[in-house]
Amino acid sequence: MLGELRSNLESRSRPKAAASAGVQQGRFFDFLSLDCFLQNSLDSPTVAVYQYSMLLHVNPASGVPTYLQIETQVKHYIAAGALTPGDALPSVRQLAADLRISTNTVARAYQDLERDGILRTIPGGRTYVAENPGSFLKAERVRRLRPYARQIAVEGTQLRLDPREIMQLVQQELDALEEENERYGNLDRKAR
Amino acid sequence: MSDMAIWTEKLVKTYPDVRAVDGLNLNVPRGVVYGFLGRNGAGKSSTIRILLGLARPTEGHGTVLGFPIGREQVSILERTAYVSESKTLYGNLTPRELVRFTRGFYPKWSDQAVRKYSQLLEIPMDRPFSKLSQGNRTKVCLLLALSQGADLLILDEPATGLDPVVLDEFLRILVQDVVSEGKTVFISSHQLSDVEQIADWVGLIDHGRLLLEARLDDIKGQFRWVTAAGTGLPAKPPDALLVASEGNFNKYLVKKNADAFAAELSRQGATIAEVSPLGLREIFLALVRKEEPCTFGNVGEIAAAVSSSL
Repeated sequence: MLGELRSNLESRSRPKAAASAGVQQGRFFDFLSLDCFLQNSLDSPTVAVYQYSMLLHVNPASGVPTYLQIETQVKHYIAAGALTPGDALPSVRQLAADLRISTNTVARAYQDLERDGILRTIPGGRTYVAENPGSFLKAERVRRLRPYARQIAVEGTQLRLDPREIMQLVQQELDALEEENERYGNLDRKAR
Repeated sequence: MSDMAIWTEKLVKTYPDVRAVDGLNLNVPRGVVYGFLGRNGAGKSSTIRILLGLARPTEGHGTVLGFPIGREQVSILERTAYVSESKTLYGNLTPRELVRFTRGFYPKWSDQAVRKYSQLLEIPMDRPFSKLSQGNRTKVCLLLALSQGADLLILDEPATGLDPVVLDEFLRILVQDVVSEGKTVFISSHQLSDVEQIADWVGLIDHGRLLLEARLDDIKGQFRWVTAAGTGLPAKPPDALLVASEGNFNKYLVKKNADAFAAELSRQGATIAEVSPLGLREIFLALVRKEEPCTFGNVGEIAAAVSSSL
């Protein structure tokens, strides 16, 4: 997986909107089938399209709804710095085809993420990672997180973990994200 | 109900020795991939034959793409591509000849699609059909179906004999060229894993009756295993099925509000061992073994509620 991430990130050498339909990188072919590549250049003739389908994967046999799996992963990659504001996501149609899942499922995930201000769709165009959700007021961000905090508190207590252990768990997850962030940061620097 | 791709009401088909379809109410929205799931002999193919006018229903009625079944069958067939369970075509014709034979029946036939898909699916176009392997026969049937420019694809066990690579390619084609165009795909199968991947709606049929019909993600979001330990646990709680019982332990399949259900049990003194999500396969096995119908009364509500909140 990391190898895939690496090639993906390296090919993401910023200028975000290169003039020539993504043809500038021979690296594209490292991880894209020709078919996929052609499809992309047809979809959007003027914008270089970076492939994030590689980052996302679904497990249909798990009990977790497929659209939720996609939402969770997109949020994770944003938090970990693998996706940054302004990055273009694959079109609904492209991602659905890559994952072999119904377009309706992908559309539902994108809609939810857009409603939460995480993605932004230009009418008739592509979907991007929205500028920092920091554009929300602090109070609003706290309001959104509170249900999860409550859930952690309730579940943790019910599982008879003491408060210190619960806090420790949360801290560990934060540390893991931090670590990932650094890794992606290093990759980006190398790419430049 | 003509806004549905397929709609049936109280559909019944009896043969001298068997009631193949037994009061079936189907609601297949347009533009979805609908997995029509059931065991062998559950009534899947009989239902499809009625939809296509190949069999006459004993009772009940319905529409396909808004056209009444049996009365406007030509309009239905013009717009519907069908891959049969048996995958038999004229044995002495080659795929190329079969294409030439078939294309005249369909006003929206696409020769470009034939070229594209025969290549993608790697079909030997010049060998007689009877000399082809089962997998290649299936591919020819799929090729003819994909090239008709149909608004509705009815595929009866479309994966028969396909190797994993071709199956994967076929799923990609279905999503990219069919579902993305707003067309409807109705897949009948007992291969749950293939369907679970691509379907966004499922209908479970058993003994000719629909046990469950809902959006797959809603089912997964709502259904839970709840394992509880205690004495005097309910045997027939509402919205839950007692699936297994051993000693003090009871295992329930809960159709909605699992957390509330678990909280109620624990209020009555039970210890909750686990509340966990489950896949389509487990739901299928639990429902079919119990033969407990749970159609619109409960799950239908969930689907409606979620779609209206979007």
